[in-house]
Amino acid sequence: MKKQTIGFVALLLASTSWALAEDVPIEGTVQSRCVIQTDTAGVYGNPNAYTLTTDPSDGGALAIIRFDVTLADAYKAEITAPSSFSSSPPLPDVVTWTGDTEVDAVSDASGMGSYETDKVEQGLKDIYDLTATGSTWFKTSSVATMGGSKAFPGGNYTALVVAECIAQ
Amino acid sequence: MVKWIIMFLLVSFPVLAHEMTPTYPKLEPSHLDNVYKTTMEMFNKREEVEYYEIGVFDAEWKPIPFVTKYEIIKIRYLGHVTFDVYIRKQDVSRATYVCSMSKLRKDATTKTAIASRICSKFK
Repeated sequence: MKKQTIGFVALLLASTSWALAEDVPIEGTVQSRCVIQTDTAGVYGNPNAYTLTTDPSDGGALAIIRFDVTLADAYKAEITAPSSFSSSPPLPDVVTWTGDTEVDAVSDASGMGSYETDKVEQGLKDIYDLTATGSTWFKTSSVATMGGSKAFPGGNYTALVVAECIAQ
Repeated sequence: MVKWIIMFLLVSFPVLAHEMTPTYPKLEPSHLDNVYKTTMEMFNKREEVEYYEIGVFDAEWKPIPFVTKYEIIKIRYLGHVTFDVYIRKQDVSRATYVCSMSKLRKDATTKTAIASRICSKFK
């Protein structure tokens, strides 16, 4: 009788545990979006005293930015190469800036193949219509030249590439 | 082949992303008279960025007055934030874009060289 009671209580507890089990929902929403991913921050090389450049052959590294869009014809990518240092030592002269952005790779060669030829250039800013869904990698180069062939002072230099994804 | 290259790139590099939704937010009347609001959501996957600045602009990129809980929002790495943007009724017809832009710390040890900005367009 005692064994039967213990068995009954154990069964009751087990069934109670089952009764307390609940479904825990994981919710999500799928909606159109643009995601900017900073794959590689650029690095300046210093091939001579008066030049800083992201050219890999001069010891630099290009900035690589990836745009992911899930809705075609909804966004423009605007990428602006630097036109000033955000931090640097005191500079002895005016710096001249050049820079350019190009498509580095695409996830859909047929839909995105014309991005580079169709881009609009406004000085240091390059504008691309993101007409297809998927990922596009852009590479941005930058060259800073010190005026009067003066040398860049020693120290850390940082300049910003601005990557914008603008709904249209 | 292209897919394999994309997979390689995804696996090879740390992905540092900034996203904001929806793409086309709608301004709707709020609980306050003559004030409209919309709700936006942001996701921060940029480990080196903690703060994002919110801005509202017209079609000519001139700033439009608005109110949010914080104009500069702190979002931890891998964090989601939902925030409301309030705009006066008189500015609703001019309001075109709501944007979020990464703010980089000057003393950051990471020499980040990319500032990201995402702009949604009011419908």
